[in-house]
Amino acid sequence: MTMKALVVARSQSLKAARELLGAARTLGGPVTAFCLGSDAASAAEDLRTHGADEILWWDDPAFDASPGEAGFQVLQRACAETAPALVLFAADSAGRDWAPRLAWRLEAGLVTECVGWEVDGAGRLRFKRPVYGGKAMATIVSRHPVQMAVVQPGSFAAPSPVPNPRGTVRRFECIVTGQAESWPRVVERAVEAAGGPALGDAAIIVAGGRGLGGAENFKLLEDLARVLSAAVGASRAAVDEGWAPTSWQIGQTGKSVRPDLYLAIGISGASQHLAGVTRAKTIVAINTDKDAPIFGTARLGVVGDYREILPPLVATLREMLGR
Amino acid sequence: MHILVCLKQVLDQEIAARAFRVNRAERRADVPGAALVMSIFDANALEVALRLRDAAGAGSTVTALSLGSRQAEDVLRKALAVTANKAILLSDTALESLDPAGVGTAIAAAVRRLEADGSPVDVVLTGRQAGDWEHGETGGMLAEALGWPCLTFVSRLRPANGGLEARREVEDGHEVIMARPPLVVTITNDETNQLRMSKVRDVMQAHRTPISTWGIAELGLDSAQLAPRTDVVDLVIPEGESRCELIEGETPGDKAAALARRLRELNVL
Repeated sequence: MTMKALVVARSQSLKAARELLGAARTLGGPVTAFCLGSDAASAAEDLRTHGADEILWWDDPAFDASPGEAGFQVLQRACAETAPALVLFAADSAGRDWAPRLAWRLEAGLVTECVGWEVDGAGRLRFKRPVYGGKAMATIVSRHPVQMAVVQPGSFAAPSPVPNPRGTVRRFECIVTGQAESWPRVVERAVEAAGGPALGDAAIIVAGGRGLGGAENFKLLEDLARVLSAAVGASRAAVDEGWAPTSWQIGQTGKSVRPDLYLAIGISGASQHLAGVTRAKTIVAINTDKDAPIFGTARLGVVGDYREILPPLVATLREMLGR
Repeated sequence: MHILVCLKQVLDQEIAARAFRVNRAERRADVPGAALVMSIFDANALEVALRLRDAAGAGSTVTALSLGSRQAEDVLRKALAVTANKAILLSDTALESLDPAGVGTAIAAAVRRLEADGSPVDVVLTGRQAGDWEHGETGGMLAEALGWPCLTFVSRLRPANGGLEARREVEDGHEVIMARPPLVVTITNDETNQLRMSKVRDVMQAHRTPISTWGIAELGLDSAQLAPRTDVVDLVIPEGESRCELIEGETPGDKAAALARRLRELNVL
């Protein structure tokens, strides 16, 4: 079976794109990577060294102003030119935005939040994806010849660089047409300053939930995070309360994370939150409610009030780690 | 401004994982006695719709729409009780078990029907994804079916400069986007868009407000247009075992010390 695959990539999600590339290569067909947006050329070179057969890149000021329109238009043309049987997106704000609309245009069968696949006897992919906040796992197939998936980061292993990359890199020649002045336009981009490492890449994450009881109490978590060089995250409940910015939200509806150590403080463990931490290696829960679902997932648990436990924990760790 | 907000009725999302069951043969959730509720992000979308209506000035209206069984009237009553102006239920045996492309097709037909009836829609709001199957596809597909632009992961929406200003949540912060109707916008949660409580007076009124029910005949659709593009071939409960080790200690300080020690012993730190 050879299945021609197209991997849609952005430099901001390059790690996820490499994983998609590696997964697509196991299917045995040619793999084209299409890189859009800022730093597309360097992303293209990176994906070449990771074994893409053909790499197209496109960058244009129109993309920055209207990625939803200009980027989407170029994406459609790249699909028309390469005629893939499989299109893969990373599950980020761009992939989740483009994929449903592209699937509509291509009459493709789309599976979002995919975490893996099997190949059936007919060469079709059987996509796995969590549903009901991770309480169930569905297997979904496309009825249409074009299959499309939005894949959660970390679902596939990233490939190593290939010894002699043979892929061809070229700029995708495409002029955006249409009434750009009437398109939705990004007029401001605000980056929320977060001290420490980014959530998606952090080896250690300290996250707080409704049990914290107030925005000011995130300070205790930040003290712990500082000692551990950890990132700080939050459950949806804490974001809804306005105690933490949306960019901190972890779960099925926020970021999926994969730290070595995840400290869940005052987080009860609603399924949709747990769905975002399934790839954490070790989960530690601190919660006053001994029946909280988080203890069903945690490796280590402390039943107690975090306000009493965190200060001595910070002191002990500071000494232990020499920080 | 006429705002249409799409509200899905789903199985209570707070059902604990240990109580959750599926009917594997029929590939659907099967939790007897579980409550049906408004999908969480749809509740956020409803709040955004109400705020936008109130900011857009006199004559602006919110129409709440649901697609589902007769029981889905409950979420429409809830919307009316927080002062949505009108409610429409899309209900028909041909509208059961649609995939997101089918749902997009059906809602687009409802938007066209509203236009034909003299109530053209300026903005359609949906939750970013439903609280059951979590596809996150309906908004984008609906936008394509209508030929409208689509903004995704928006938490706030307000009138500005003759158009709309949207705050879109992205990985490391947010974007501010200016756009002109007609538009489809998918809504994500933040602290500003938690659904308000209803007032007793409005709840009473909501029960007297008629709900329009449209089937595929009223929508001008035939079932071939609603054929799914994907098939769910299996649905299972993932296996998981609890192996949580509880840290004991007389005082919080003892527990903290024991936790630090165990983390080290497990080579986590």
